[in-house]
Amino acid sequence: MAEKPRLKLPKEAKKGDVIEIKTLMPHVMESGQRKDKDGKAVPRKIINKFACEFNGKPVFTANLEPAIAANPYLQFSAKVEESGTFKFTWTDDDGSVITAEEKITVS
Amino acid sequence: MRRAGMLAGAAAVLIAAGTFAMIAVDSDANAQSKKREAPLELAGSAAASPWKRYANWPQRDYSKFNTLANLASPPAPKEPRKLAGIGTTGNAANGAKLVADRTRGGSCLACHVMGSAGNADLPGNVGPDLSWIGDAGREDEYLFNYINDPRVYNPETVMPPWGSHGLFNDQEISDMVAFLKTLKSAAPFKTELDDPNKRPAPVEKRDNLDSIENPGMWAVDKAQELWKEKTSAGFSCNTCHNDPKEAFKTWAAGMPKWEPRLKKVLGVEEFVTRHAKATTGAVWLMETDENRVMSVYLHFLANGAPIKVDTESSESKAAIARGKELSSRKLGELNFACTDCHGKVANRWIRGQWLGEPKGQYDHFPTWRTSLLAIWDIRQRFQWCQVNIRADELPPDAKEYGDLELYLASQNEGQKLSVPGIRH
Repeated sequence: MAEKPRLKLPKEAKKGDVIEIKTLMPHVMESGQRKDKDGKAVPRKIINKFACEFNGKPVFTANLEPAIAANPYLQFSAKVEESGTFKFTWTDDDGSVITAEEKITVS
Repeated sequence: MRRAGMLAGAAAVLIAAGTFAMIAVDSDANAQSKKREAPLELAGSAAASPWKRYANWPQRDYSKFNTLANLASPPAPKEPRKLAGIGTTGNAANGAKLVADRTRGGSCLACHVMGSAGNADLPGNVGPDLSWIGDAGREDEYLFNYINDPRVYNPETVMPPWGSHGLFNDQEISDMVAFLKTLKSAAPFKTELDDPNKRPAPVEKRDNLDSIENPGMWAVDKAQELWKEKTSAGFSCNTCHNDPKEAFKTWAAGMPKWEPRLKKVLGVEEFVTRHAKATTGAVWLMETDENRVMSVYLHFLANGAPIKVDTESSESKAAIARGKELSSRKLGELNFACTDCHGKVANRWIRGQWLGEPKGQYDHFPTWRTSLLAIWDIRQRFQWCQVNIRADELPPDAKEYGDLELYLASQNEGQKLSVPGIRH
């Protein structure tokens, strides 16, 4: 399956609008608590941090914990005063960082 | 030579069906049907062969019992057994454990409310409420035989023959009889949700076509990439179908379909396997990721189209009749037919699972399973139904599944496709 993040937010908004942003990151979110067939713990591998910024300014961050289900889905809102770019980052336990961007035009 | 023979066969079928226009000019008819016939790989299996059950499914062997392809279950006894010959007395405390033991075929509570048994934790309502059975004046022998094999009293029953099929031994059944006789008061439900008669029917409200709500939608993106991926032969789907949105806007709603060259009903998934092999050379066996995403996409393109399968041709009629027959065949150790759960006792609870009617069980396949993080096509759903009732499944390309799928699709005529669905 395609393993790229899913984003949903309006392409356009009016100045001062509060917009809804939906993000979903395909990820196993292996908790580290499960055991495999041989009784060995399956190593933890989760997205441990999510951040969203708009034109370089922080909008929303979250620390994710092992009990969060696969494919973490975060929904939040932001007030937009100017056109610009939302930047999203997901940090994996293995150190890799997945990023995505989405532009919005504010009139 | 084989091809010529096949075309002659097709012409004969047309005559039989009374379609005269097509064969008015023989050479034209041949040219036309040749043009319209999609290339298919006719040899071999469309799935892994020999078929091996999914690794994370129960691996028990149910070969002593009926499958959709094979009759093996022992015949129903004609007479109740005499308790004197059994000569055991029951241990009610052990019986209380057994009726709630979910490892032994699902437990009695799956279908019956039974007073305090299993702490009245989410029982089903397929069978009658047994909370007062201890006051009902039933003989031990009657209760014993009802558990052992209820068919001796009611040939139409949907209850499994627990004793005849070896799920419980005589002593265990006697223990359960002893427990049943202690039941003399209403079930102490902790919440209304525990009471199957008050538990509201499940409603699926998620937006299955929103790629954030439904990860099944990712298959649509993946399939569009696959569509253009060239095989080593240099071909892709796009080589011939460069406008899939237009070409397939209703196609999947007319599937499955009788395929005269293979003499069986083909669903979208098997069609994809055989057509891809014959054209691009891609090997997209059924129940592999490529096949599943392609099936999701082809159904997705026909979303909104009402299901309309061929129910008129003599081959389709015969296949539907076979499918109907198969749907009432008792299968597996639990001895259930499709028409038991999704007919006789549809719209009731088996444990916490709602038993739906056939209508509405087809328009969303392939569907995303949120509990499994996986896409299931209809054939895998059929397979799970069987393993779940302790019957051996068939390979996904089995002709019996073709007949059953066509029968199911015919019962869903007019339902609009909405794929990928999203289900627990």
